[in-house]
Amino acid sequence: MSKNVFAVQVFFIVFRECLEAVIIISVLLSFLKQCLGGPGQDQAIYKRLVRQVWLGSLAGIVICLIIGGAFIGVFYGLGKDIWSKSEDLWEGIFYLIATIIISFMGLALLRINKMKDKWRVKIAQALAEKSAQSTKSTTWLGDWSRRHVMFLLPFITTLREGVEAVVFVGGVSLSLPATAFPLPVICGIIAGLAVGFFIYRGGNMMSIQIFLIASTSVLYLIAAGMFSKSVWSLQYHTFAQRVGGDVAEEGDGPGSYDITETVWHVNCCNPETDNGWDVFNSILGWQNTATYGSVISYNVYWACLVLTVSCLMYEEKTGSLPLKNQFLSFVSKVPGLGGWVAKKRAKRDINEHEVLRQVQAAGLLRE
Amino acid sequence: MKSFLLLVLAALGCRAKTVTYDFNVTWVTANPDGLAERKVVGINGQWPLPLIEVDKGDQLVVNMHNGLGDRPCSIHWHGMFQNNTNYMDGASMVTQCPVPPGSSMTYNFTVNQNGTYWYHCHTDYCYPDGYRQALIVHDEHAPFKFDEEFTITMSDWYHEMVEDLSTDFMSVYNPTGAEPIPSAFLFNDTMNSSIPVEPNKTYLLRLVNIGAFVAQYFYIEGHTFKIVEIDGVYTEPTEADTLYIAVAQRYAILLTTKNQTDVNYAIVTVADSTLLDGIPEDLQLNNTNWLEYNKDAAHPQATINVTDSTELVPFDDITLVPTDKMELLPEPDMEINVTVIMNNLNTGFSYAFLNNISYTKPKVPSLYTAMSSGDLVANSEIYGEFTHPMILNHNDVVQIVVNNADGGSHPFHLHGHNFQVINRAPPYGPHFNDFLNGDPVPYDPSNHTAFPKFPARRDTFVLPPQGYVVLRFVADNPGVWIFHCHIDWHLASGLAMILIEAPQQMQERMQIPQDHLDVCQAAGVSSKGNAAADTTNFLDLKGQDAQPGWIPDGFTPRGIVALVFSILSAIIGIVSIVIYGMADVKPLMMFCLERGLHLN
Repeated sequence: MSKNVFAVQVFFIVFRECLEAVIIISVLLSFLKQCLGGPGQDQAIYKRLVRQVWLGSLAGIVICLIIGGAFIGVFYGLGKDIWSKSEDLWEGIFYLIATIIISFMGLALLRINKMKDKWRVKIAQALAEKSAQSTKSTTWLGDWSRRHVMFLLPFITTLREGVEAVVFVGGVSLSLPATAFPLPVICGIIAGLAVGFFIYRGGNMMSIQIFLIASTSVLYLIAAGMFSKSVWSLQYHTFAQRVGGDVAEEGDGPGSYDITETVWHVNCCNPETDNGWDVFNSILGWQNTATYGSVISYNVYWACLVLTVSCLMYEEKTGSLPLKNQFLSFVSKVPGLGGWVAKKRAKRDINEHEVLRQVQAAGLLRE
Repeated sequence: MKSFLLLVLAALGCRAKTVTYDFNVTWVTANPDGLAERKVVGINGQWPLPLIEVDKGDQLVVNMHNGLGDRPCSIHWHGMFQNNTNYMDGASMVTQCPVPPGSSMTYNFTVNQNGTYWYHCHTDYCYPDGYRQALIVHDEHAPFKFDEEFTITMSDWYHEMVEDLSTDFMSVYNPTGAEPIPSAFLFNDTMNSSIPVEPNKTYLLRLVNIGAFVAQYFYIEGHTFKIVEIDGVYTEPTEADTLYIAVAQRYAILLTTKNQTDVNYAIVTVADSTLLDGIPEDLQLNNTNWLEYNKDAAHPQATINVTDSTELVPFDDITLVPTDKMELLPEPDMEINVTVIMNNLNTGFSYAFLNNISYTKPKVPSLYTAMSSGDLVANSEIYGEFTHPMILNHNDVVQIVVNNADGGSHPFHLHGHNFQVINRAPPYGPHFNDFLNGDPVPYDPSNHTAFPKFPARRDTFVLPPQGYVVLRFVADNPGVWIFHCHIDWHLASGLAMILIEAPQQMQERMQIPQDHLDVCQAAGVSSKGNAAADTTNFLDLKGQDAQPGWIPDGFTPRGIVALVFSILSAIIGIVSIVIYGMADVKPLMMFCLERGLHLN
């Protein structure tokens, strides 16, 4: 086996996170330009907000680097032995966490349009706050965050993407040698920034969207594979635990897996030992040994995704999900969850258009 | 001349006596290593078991009663030819039914051999629980002289019952077939013992490895010795300093003591650690016992100068020349060519194979199948596919080539015979493990080292890791003989085959004693019929016990269905993402068009 110097999943995760950050920042900037950068508007406010965007992004990156450094420091400081002793257990857990994060974040980005509506409201709120001397009593933090929304958005975005990247790179690659990191991380960052920049500069919203769809699809392929791999790893961990020895030493022949749990097994293409197959492993979750657990979890994952997407689309079309009210009123009866339901309901009651109209009337925001 | 011979024979016949033992086999407790008390198989309430001693030509009668209460047993007389008494061989489901609790069986046979042998249980998972001991056949006509003799047994020792170890051994969680690691190594069923000797005397030491798994190196500090017998075959006295004694092997050595009484010398036994998959920290691989010249002098621990047992260079037993100078047997009439393979079957357990067959017990002891099969006796089919039967014609010269595709060494034993070891690679010594560095090397008839003129003969011979061994013998002993690896774990996982030797003569010359047939009845095992216990149609093997199925190589229909479903669900999922994503494009484009702007 040649030295592993390029971990594909690391590259893709870094690439994707960078791309996301770049796209969000650039969309924010163009959005500001479009809404506030016109000739007849307050250049001071515009410039201040643009500066906020850049400051937010940079602050997010810096903090994420600190967190990442600490994470990797702890990770290797504790000694890789602790992790590698029960590598499959940790791999299983990290994959599970990674899958959950990806699953929740992946779809959100697909809807830049939706996000932009939210931002409009947020900016409007910020402006309204400033101009129309709100009489509402607010907390200091709420007040601050409303005024600095253009700082917080990119800040949170870069921070989130960055931490995600660090968690993935650190966690997913438990099994990889240290040599497998630097190259894909650097390539990922460069490629992410470059693609983001070129798409933004050269393309239009359509190509961004198509690109986002494509990258989201790959992201979910990875996530489904990770979910399946997570189940597989946990099962394998329990098997290896009982076998005692290092089962991985067995290569891919008999004895390297639990035959009683196996759906298929091919005596080749072991992603851990055979070159090339690790690419399939990282993108599609390929295993030369499939267990009932890993196959079922893979299919269940996609089923859940399809269900979620269907619900989201249904909600978009009709404005509400069937049974949503029933569900909320049921939950409100559960002690302790009443507050959450009330908040959820209140949120829906805020008349966003009202705020927008106020601000526009004040001439602060262009139609 | 003829009359003189007759006289000698008559004289021998007069002196031949009958030696009778009554063995009541029961559980007792013992703590031979001082580390843990455990249940062991005792005879007449005793453990260590009684050493059996007979003179050459004696009739040995052992009345065995199984008082264990919870498991069947038997006794195999290791190395005994059992000429015309194949049914006394003691191998369960080969030459007899396992003796169930409460039943008895009488073993009665003539010992027309000399030398060092041993007896042990030959039923599944039985003898590592302590059911083994040496059997010595004295011979007043031995071609060497000595003042006194000692028998030294060496053995691996487990603290757990073999039945408990076996469930972990044959398990889906032991896919590599890793053999249970012994807890200790015994010397004469104890540790740190002394053999009192006097100066300037010659002692005959009979060394027997009565273990179940691990071979041992043997040497005595400050002494060399002469090998005079291996596995009951006298050899030209040959000087040696270190021996490698695999399980079931025996050496008799002549040791001349020094002219001193000041110092005691360490007798060192070193377990062959290459056989162990792991070495627990508390496992003592090297053990010291003493050649005690002076009971009051110090008993120093052995100084071990090697870091690994493989650095010890043992005497290569293939070079020994039998005293009778029996010449190399002629070109074989029949050749059996088998390869040792370890593999997993679809139970997930690890099995051992000779070629593609993992020995699986028949439903009727193979000898009884032969005796009840009439004219079909020479048809190998009736013995079942998975006993791996081979029919040998009477007095044929048989050559067995055993190739080893496995990385471990295997002490192979053939019942009812000793065989000439005419070729082996690699030899004992520093190159013994050399073939592990590449692919297994099979025996090549057109390219091998010259066969010795007077080949060494033994009944247990070590097959080197990834190497081979070539054996020859004459099929002059009618009976069903099992040829197997003597590592008990490997026998349990199927490393065996049976030789149906001179089947017609077998039927003509032998009759199964009634008490042996009664044992079958008590055990609920059929004493008639083919391997599937079919007594009407011996060629119908339906219902025979078979080895588990092979693990499918690649995709089975189940796997293909699973893969197709996985791919389909992934495609559907991606389509839904695309639809969801594209749904955003339209309003977005509207948004942009309405305002006549592009994002850039």
